[in-house]
Amino acid sequence: MKQEILITTEAIDGPALAAARASGPGMGAVVHFLGVVRGSEEGASIAAIDYTAFVPMAEAQFRKLLDEAARRWPLESVRVVHRLGVVRVGEPSLWMEVVSPHRAEAFDACRWIIDEMKRVVPIWKRAVPVVP
Amino acid sequence: MTVEVTFWSYFADLAGAASGKFDVPVGTSVEELLGSVYRSHPRLSALRNSTLVAVGVEYQGGSYLLQPGDAVSLFPPVQGG
Repeated sequence: MKQEILITTEAIDGPALAAARASGPGMGAVVHFLGVVRGSEEGASIAAIDYTAFVPMAEAQFRKLLDEAARRWPLESVRVVHRLGVVRVGEPSLWMEVVSPHRAEAFDACRWIIDEMKRVVPIWKRAVPVVP
Repeated sequence: MTVEVTFWSYFADLAGAASGKFDVPVGTSVEELLGSVYRSHPRLSALRNSTLVAVGVEYQGGSYLLQPGDAVSLFPPVQGG
């Protein structure tokens, strides 16, 4: 399975990432997921979230997750982009693409990778309050 | 040997530093190292039940025996996405 992991302070350009997809003729499902910063955190309005990470470990843990996903489902490729630094409300912090022959495994793998990411990939967030 | 411990996220705020150096014998367990860390940084000890420990880029439990060159990281539950 092809895999790409990018942890970056650059803004996520979902359409450009999607346009760069290369998949074979046997692939019938492409699931894209975009995680976007919400305008509130624990009931309080926020302006942004400041993401930090232990990058080498985050990359290593993502690789392990994607390897495990490839054992569980017949995936052709997974691409993951996680943004670091200040991400304003409404902007994407996470982009993911899962390509597989059929939709069920693409949806299941996408959800599983995100659930596991939230458990093991060392990325943290700090809410940036709205300045009155 | 000297083990460098890095504190990530708000653990660095609680420790008052991004990292610290601890002199321990070769073969010291992670659990024993944590005892030294908590004596030096008591504000971290209140969070010991939710603390995650990595050696290098892999998670390790308290029984892991430290070797020269090991780099230890302590951090709170992760929050990516």
